Amino acid sequence: MGAETPTDDARPCILILDGDVLSRHAIAEYLRGCGYRVVEATTSEELLAVLDHGTPLVDTILFDLDAPGAVNGFALRALVREAYPGIDVIATGSTQKAAKEAANLCEEGPELARPYDPQLVIARIRRMQARRDESE
Amino acid sequence: MDNVAMLDAHGPEARSVLVVEDDPLLRFMLCDLLRAEGLVVVEAANAEEALGALAAGLDVAVVFTDVQMPGAFDGLELSRRLQASYPDVPVIVTSGHLDAALLAVGIPYLPKPYVPTKAVGLILSVLARRHAHGG
Repeated sequence: MGAETPTDDARPCILILDGDVLSRHAIAEYLRGCGYRVVEATTSEELLAVLDHGTPLVDTILFDLDAPGAVNGFALRALVREAYPGIDVIATGSTQKAAKEAANLCEEGPELARPYDPQLVIARIRRMQARRDESE
Repeated sequence: MDNVAMLDAHGPEARSVLVVEDDPLLRFMLCDLLRAEGLVVVEAANAEEALGALAAGLDVAVVFTDVQMPGAFDGLELSRRLQASYPDVPVIVTSGHLDAALLAVGIPYLPKPYVPTKAVGLILSVLARRHAHGG
């Protein structure tokens, strides 16, 4: 079946992890409308399975710190950054709870507070991509 | 007029599909192809997620669901509940195990493993049939 997956898709690819089907669908559709290819994951296990598979090649991960799965929150962000340093990671979460957890773990807080403005997601993705392009 | 062009005449809801599949890569592959056909696709990883989305007001024209999935109930039970609560929404099921109960009630069925283009064709034809009959 892999042969049927379009592999020559040049659009930047964003992997979204969000446990809420309608929230996930809304931001995914918005990003698709902005020209991105979007893969949806519902749990951290799904997210890691997609990354492990290697295709589609993911450029950016947008994930909810409270998404379900065996590995979640800041541990997931640390794991992805360690295993996939070439992928930009944007964590979203409720500011108060996430800030407390981050402080406990000596981690930086979420990049975006929920509920977030989809335009802020695009702006952040573009900023990260520009920074990455500059450093290459 | 092709299937999607015909569906366009019925508005965006006529082109919306809910895909219920627990394998994220297979789900992505199928949904990507469906979107390339011009359909609006909502992805759910299990039966509870699918029912939750519909209960929250999601409006779809067809549901394509796997049978064997983790969770409180499987795709077969999901199709029964959908038929009871959303009788106007056709359901297509896919499974690696042929289920006699499924065939007995006449639910469109696609055996697994399937070629994704075949699933796309089946979904489009079920959508077209639904709208041709005024659904």
